[in-house]
This record gives sequence, C-alpha cells and structure tokens, in this order.
Amino acid sequence: MKLKKIAIANRGEVAVRIIKACEELGLQTVLLHSDADRGSRAFRMSDFQICIGPAPTSESYLNIEANIQGALAAGADAVHPGFGFLSENADFALACEKAGLKFIGPSSEAIRKLGNKISFKRLAQSAGLPLIPGYEGDDQSIPKLLTEVEKIGLPVIVKAAAGGGGRGMKLIREMTEAKDQIESAQREAKSAFGSEKVFLEKYLDRAKHIEFQIFGDSTGKIHHLFDRECSVQRRHQKIIEEATSPSLTDDLRRQMGEVAVTIATVANYKSAGTVEFLLQDNKFYLLEVNTRLQVEHPVTEEVLGVDLVKMQILTADNSFVFDAKDIRIPKGHSIECRVYAENPYMNGMPSTGKLGTVHWPEGPRRRFEFGFDSGDVITSHYDPMIAKVIVWDETRPRAIEKMIRVLKDSTIFGVHTNIPYLIAILSHDEFIKGTMTTRFIEHYFADGLKSNHDEINRKKLSQEIYKNLVQKFVPQQTEAQSPWLTFWRGV
Amino acid sequence: MSDLNKTQAEIIDQKIWIKSEGEIWCYDLIDVASDGQRRKKTNSASPNLITAPMPGKITKVFVKSGDLVTKGQPLLVMEAMKMEYTLKSDLETTVEKINVELNQQVTLGFLMVELKKADVNV
Repeated sequence: MKLKKIAIANRGEVAVRIIKACEELGLQTVLLHSDADRGSRAFRMSDFQICIGPAPTSESYLNIEANIQGALAAGADAVHPGFGFLSENADFALACEKAGLKFIGPSSEAIRKLGNKISFKRLAQSAGLPLIPGYEGDDQSIPKLLTEVEKIGLPVIVKAAAGGGGRGMKLIREMTEAKDQIESAQREAKSAFGSEKVFLEKYLDRAKHIEFQIFGDSTGKIHHLFDRECSVQRRHQKIIEEATSPSLTDDLRRQMGEVAVTIATVANYKSAGTVEFLLQDNKFYLLEVNTRLQVEHPVTEEVLGVDLVKMQILTADNSFVFDAKDIRIPKGHSIECRVYAENPYMNGMPSTGKLGTVHWPEGPRRRFEFGFDSGDVITSHYDPMIAKVIVWDETRPRAIEKMIRVLKDSTIFGVHTNIPYLIAILSHDEFIKGTMTTRFIEHYFADGLKSNHDEINRKKLSQEIYKNLVQKFVPQQTEAQSPWLTFWRGV
Repeated sequence: MSDLNKTQAEIIDQKIWIKSEGEIWCYDLIDVASDGQRRKKTNSASPNLITAPMPGKITKVFVKSGDLVTKGQPLLVMEAMKMEYTLKSDLETTVEKINVELNQQVTLGFLMVELKKADVNV
C-alpha cells in the first residue's frame, strides 16, 4: 500500500463507513468537516479533523478549494468523496488530481462523460444502448422547456443536469403545473448542486428501478457485481433497496449486466459506479450512471461478501486487480432501509433535535450504518438520512421478516424517524410479492401514515411513566435538572 | 394499560420520549406533567396565522400584504434539509402582514404570514 492518509470529504454515516475501511487497511483518516459537524461521530472516530467552513453546504462540503486546502494541510495523499456533495463533481476530481491528491473514484474525464447526464446520453446513443425519450438541450429558457415537455408527452420528469439522488427532480403531470415544477426544480438544483440546468425525460408510470453495481479495477478491467432493486422511492428518493432484484429473469439479468459493462467500458471507468435502469413490461432503459459509491452499496456487499470501499481505496492505490475467483454468484437476500429524521405521521415533516437514547439491536447479519449517536444534534442544514439498517438472510421473505423485527427493536429518542413508515412498507402485500413499481409510495403511502393509537390511553400511560421517572430522580436534585434523565426497566 | 416493565422513556429538552410495545412517541413535558391541563394550540385554532412548521429558509414569497388569496393558494416556499415545502392559505381572505423576507432563516413556530380572519360566509 502506497497510500498512508485518506481525507474524507463528507459527513454522517458514509464518513463513518469510510473511516472503518481505512482503519481495517491500516490507513490514517482526516475528516474535512463543517463547523456544524464538530463533535459528530465521524469527527470522534477520525484520526485528524480539519474544519473547512461554516454549516451551509455551499461554503463547506460543496467548496472545492476549501476541501483541497484542508486535505493538503493535513498531509493527506488521497481524498474519498463519499456520495452526494462533491462525489460526482468532475472539477473536484480534477482539482484533486492537480493538487497531487488521489481522488478515490473514477477519473475526472470519466465523471465528465458519464456523470453529466447529457453527455452520458450521447455516449450511450453512440454505443447503441437503450435510452428513454427526452430533452437535454442547452436552451434552458422556460418557453423552450415548455415546448419540449409537450413534444415528449406527459407525464414528464424534470431533473437537475448535475444531480443525483432525487434532488431537484420534479414530475409534471399536467401542462398547467409545468412552469411551476420546472422553476422549482431549477431552484433545488441550484441549491443542491450549484447549477440550475435541468433536463426533461418521459416518465414511465409503472416501471421498476433496477441498477447494476459496476467496478473497474486498477488495470481498467470492468465487471458488474450484479443488481439491486430500488423501486421503493418517495419523490424520487430511495427508501428501501435490496439485492438482488426479485423482478429479473436470468435472461434480463444477463442482458442488463452486459449493457452496464458496455457503458462503463466506453467511458474507461475505474472504481465503483452504478448503472441505473428502468424496467417496464420486460423492456429496460438506461437511466443514468452514478460515478461514485452508492448509498445502497451495502446490500451488494452482503450478497457477494465484498467490501466496495476497500476495493475503491485499493484501486486508487493501484493495487486492486480482479481475479477470476473474485467473480462471485450472489447468495441469499439483503435489504437496506434508510432511516430518515422525519415524522411519518405528519407526512414526512423533517424532525430536528438533540438525540437521546440510540439503540441498535445487534445480531448475526444485521448491519447498522449510522453517523449520529446519543448527544449529537440533528440540524436542518443537511440531508435527513441519519442511518441505514441492512440485513441479510437466506431468502427474501426471511430477510423481510428479519428487517421488520430489527426495526421494531431499534430505538431512537430525540427526533422522530420514519421507522413506522418503513415497517408499514415492508408489511405491504405488493412489497412482499416483489411487484412494486417506482409509484408504489405514491399509490399506497402518499400522505405518510395515519396514526391509529388511542390518544387518551397513550396520554394516561405517558403521565404515569412521567411520574415514575420524576419519583426515581427526586433524591438526586442536580441530576433531575439535567435534560438526560433516563428510565429503563426491563427490556 | 401497557406493561410498564417493557417501557423505556427519556426526557430530552422539555419533551418526554417513550417507547412501548415497539412504538415510539413523544409529548411536551407540559402536557404530561399535570393532569387535565391542556395547552391551547395556536396553530390549528388560528388558520389565519401561518407559522413555520420547521426551522428553515424562505426561498420564495408569492404574496404581499393587501393581496387577496384563495383557499389552497401558495403563500411562500421554505427549504429545510434541502427539501422544499410550500405553505398554502387555508382561507379565502386578504394578506394582512408578511413577517419574512427572501432568504431569511426562520425558527420553528415563527409567525411568517398573518392573514385577515375570514368572514363567516365568503
């Protein structure tokens, strides 16, 4: 290993994930963090910490110069961008290369070709790969965009040209709302990615979201590491992902895998990436390539027994080469649930606050990726995803049962979470059958959850618990004033 | 009544968080500390006062004071955690006062827009 010290240009659970991989490889870590993340779990776990700016992302996590200067000041020799923020920013990859820092990911050239969705489409077209009809022109005026919406035919989706992960995406179902939706997408795109450029695409209304993990080793050899299904999405943000997809026949899996490897090959891809498809009526369309590690990478790791982050680091170090025996067949089934700080009974309203008890029920093949612990504060500055829960089991039905149990046994106090929402989705017939499409949430869970508890009984119980709690702490006056009273009986 | 032995609770910043039988909920301390006493919820009682449902930033203001608004008409857009929320009028009335401006950061519960109380029969 030539690399010694890795800078992490990210936060939250992914920063923690990268730190763990570095520790296992004997590498030192430098966390490049904002003012607001001082003291976060990643901050506590990393070897060195450099504050790169104030809380707003544009002045810290999206600030290329500040990240480069921070990494150099700490004496890092490589930068891992995680996902989101600068991970798919070709300028950042190039700035790293120029500053003599290894960018842990594909080359800036490959990011430019694939990460920019417009040039990606041109590349896919020239390779003869299947795409969805749309508009990706430079004329970004509202009248032009409106004309194109009509030409493509409703429903049409508006996407941030520089985006990913659902940020800045809006759906147009009727012409009357087209202008509002386009403008709203432009604002979100500007805020999340610094560029308000958008493109348009025909919206497939009963499609499944299937994606293939691809990986290019140090020598440029590319393999796919099979598929994931992420059809459970709300406002184009994934909520539950699984590997492998319950929807693919062997034949489709082989064909889509070949397309995924082809697009990566024509872009000279190295490191981890994801080729996303929509599948409708047994026909598949290339959606985009995410030129980075994916939030849902753990489900692939679980069914294949690989460590994608280590593979990325070793590839950047020029010391990862695929071996024939590395090409495995997926085993069993893995599911990931994203835990968001939001109130499912108030239609997913973001929830902020100081975390109290955080308890994850450890057990065989249960994996908890979390960036925040008891005492940490969840603020409104950043993404509401606070943790991921991943399980593996022999079969899909058993993995679903296991996930429901694990979520029920997980405890987070201090912010509301979407855990009840996740359990409701996992218990839904259509999810259990595996027939859900990307409109599953819209169909069945559009307004979040209805609370059906008995309010009077719940309040009575709460008052009784409160009395217990206060009595318990009356002898210790000083402690009684702390906001950290804890009450545990049994369990 | 649930089994207290399987219940877990914690007080954090003037709220009590409780987990019982796999469900988690929370109450403001003031609501459980004394029986019978109920706080007046200003929000639901006064649909003419538009308060911030979450901390965040104002990204668009559609109306100004004196404007006529209809039921369901967007008043302003807030952004928090990079998500957009549009606040709409529940009434058909006039805008009395706007207490926020573009790009302003607001705290939870901040009184952002004051509408004229609707006439009984509009």
